[in-house]
This record gives sequence, structure tokens and C-alpha cells, in this order.
Amino acid sequence: MVFNLSALEEPYALISREHGKFRVCIIVNRCKECGLCIAVCPTKVLVKSSVINAYGYHPPEPANIEKCIGCRLCEYNCPDFAIFVERVG
Amino acid sequence: MAMKTPPLIHPLDKHLRLDRVPTMYCPGCGIGIALGAMFRALDRRFNEGLLDPNRIVWVGGIGCSARATLYVNYDAAHVLHGRAIPFALGVILANPNLQVIVIGGDGDIAGIGGNHLIHAAKRNIDMIVVMITNFVYAMTGGQVAPTTPVGVKTTTTPYGNPEPPINVVKVVTSLNANYVARASVTTPHYIESFFYKALGMKGFRFIEIVSTCPEVYGRHIGLRDPVDMYNELKKRVKYKQKPSIEESDISWDTGIVIGEFLERNNPSYLELLTGVRGK
Repeated sequence: MVFNLSALEEPYALISREHGKFRVCIIVNRCKECGLCIAVCPTKVLVKSSVINAYGYHPPEPANIEKCIGCRLCEYNCPDFAIFVERVG
Repeated sequence: MAMKTPPLIHPLDKHLRLDRVPTMYCPGCGIGIALGAMFRALDRRFNEGLLDPNRIVWVGGIGCSARATLYVNYDAAHVLHGRAIPFALGVILANPNLQVIVIGGDGDIAGIGGNHLIHAAKRNIDMIVVMITNFVYAMTGGQVAPTTPVGVKTTTTPYGNPEPPINVVKVVTSLNANYVARASVTTPHYIESFFYKALGMKGFRFIEIVSTCPEVYGRHIGLRDPVDMYNELKKRVKYKQKPSIEESDISWDTGIVIGEFLERNNPSYLELLTGVRGK
């Protein structure tokens, strides 16, 4: 069992992945693991990660980032202001 | 030790008091979605230059939804249970240049403050009332609320709720309100567009937001998982372009109609007081 303690040491840690058009960022310590972003994503970009944040929750991770179409449904449906999508370039 | 100012990371961070984030809301609570959509509407009005961030006042009573006033980076008041609308009336009469936003749950606005809601709508007072409906008194442990559907087992109705619920949209529409709309947290873009529209109007504006409460109401109806409850609500929500008032009843079986139920331009209380528009 490996614990990732970087979330505790870095209060504003970000999980950030990007492809040519969009960047998906997750503010690790705001996530409450409700799973809404994973459920609403139409192209299934997000999966639950193995990172544990300061409150004991597993934030999502943009594992299939190449599928992101930039609809920002995850950003609109996040109740905790923890995920956002930026346009790159 | 001096508190370090948290950096602005999220695009909506300038609207939040970041030292209080993450919020106390349960995982999957719909209030955060509604709040985010309202912030986006405010952003659009600020960018148009029609609204000044320093002239916005949020007022909330008691409850999970009303606690949003503690998380917004604006002037805000957190007052007695159900008395958010009288406080907002005092604010708007003291300084008519302010834009007052009342936020609260169904127990706060329709239950304990129900009479204040009726009379504020009757007098067409210049304020926006956002009621976030989750069908129970969630913060106090899941007691029956005026909007609880018939038959739902709650903490205070262990054999099922015998009373038919109040339809707040119908009540407010029958009075002198200028704008009545209903949205759902499963459709945040409609919350944004209705709130955006309400910010540009005068008089009494009422927006009901049907929300998910997986922790308390979801436990009562057997949808404990936030994603399950979100999907079940999404299945039942139907948007209509011009819904009639008769369709506004919230029923978990036949669906929940969202849309703009009423839009008119009656003279508001302040316009009548200051003589801008005659009777």
C-alpha cells in the first residue's frame, strides 16, 4: 500500500493533463469523491485515481485526456469547484 | 501566524471566500452546482458592466442552502430562520441601489418564512429569491418539509408523509411577482440563464432550483449514492419553452417541468415608492 502524501504537503496540489486543445485540472484537496464528474462526462475522460487527498477522498484523474471534447460538463456539475477545463493554445 | 492568502486557481475562485473552501456540504450536494451556475451568471453581468460587484448583497436564513452566504465573496448576511426576506427588504429600502439576492432552502423560504415570501411577492419588492428545493429539512436531520411528496418516510413521518406538498411556483405566480422560473441542478445552464435574466429585471424575481440531497433525502427514498440520485432526477426533469402554471406540480412519478413560468413587467415596490412609475 503506497500512500501519496504530496496532497498533505502541498495544499493547492493540481492534477493536470492536456492534449492539443484542452487542459483538465483537478484541485486535489477540494474533491469530495461524489463521482458526478465521472458520471456526466460524455466521452468518459475521467476515472477515479489512487491519490488520497487531505480529507481521505480519491479525486478523479483525466486518464483518457485525448478523448476530451471541451464540453465543460464536469466543470458545470462539480459541486465543490474542484475541476475546470481550459482551452490550450 | 498570519494566514496565507490562497491562490486563485478555479475560474470562479474570485466569487468564493477561499479560506472556507471546501464547503461543509456533503459529497454530491446540488447546492454547489447551483452556486457555481449563479456565479457564472454574475460573471456575465459584470462583464457587460451592468452590475457592480460592490453593490450585491446576499441574504440567507438558516439551512444548508442559506449557508451559501458564508461562502460568497460579497457582502452577505446570515440571519434568523425564515427571516431572510424581511432582512432583504430592510436592505433594499435602506439603499435602493443595491441588488439583493436571497438564497435559502424550501424549509427556510416556503416553510418557516412562507408568509414573508407571500407578502414580498404581493408587494413586488425588488429582490431575487432563489429557493433550493431538496424536499426535506436536511440540516436538522431530515424532518418533513412543506415540499415533501406524499408517502415519503422522513424522520417525523415514519409511516409516510400524509400531507400533499405545497407548490411554491404556483403560490408565487398567483401573486404580483415579475419573474418565476424553475430549474434543476441537473441542468446548470438553465440555472445560469434564468439567474442571468433575473439579474437584469426589476421587482420580485423567484427561481426555484430542484436539487439533489443524497445524504438525507436520498437516504429516505433509497437513492443514497450521489450519482444514482442525480441520474434519477435527470430522468424526471423536462424543460418546456412556455410551460403553463397547471404543469408546475412537482411529482416524482410524472416528472418535474422546468422553465420560465411567468415573466411580466409590473411596477415594482421601489418604483411605486419613488414615483418612477405611476399606479
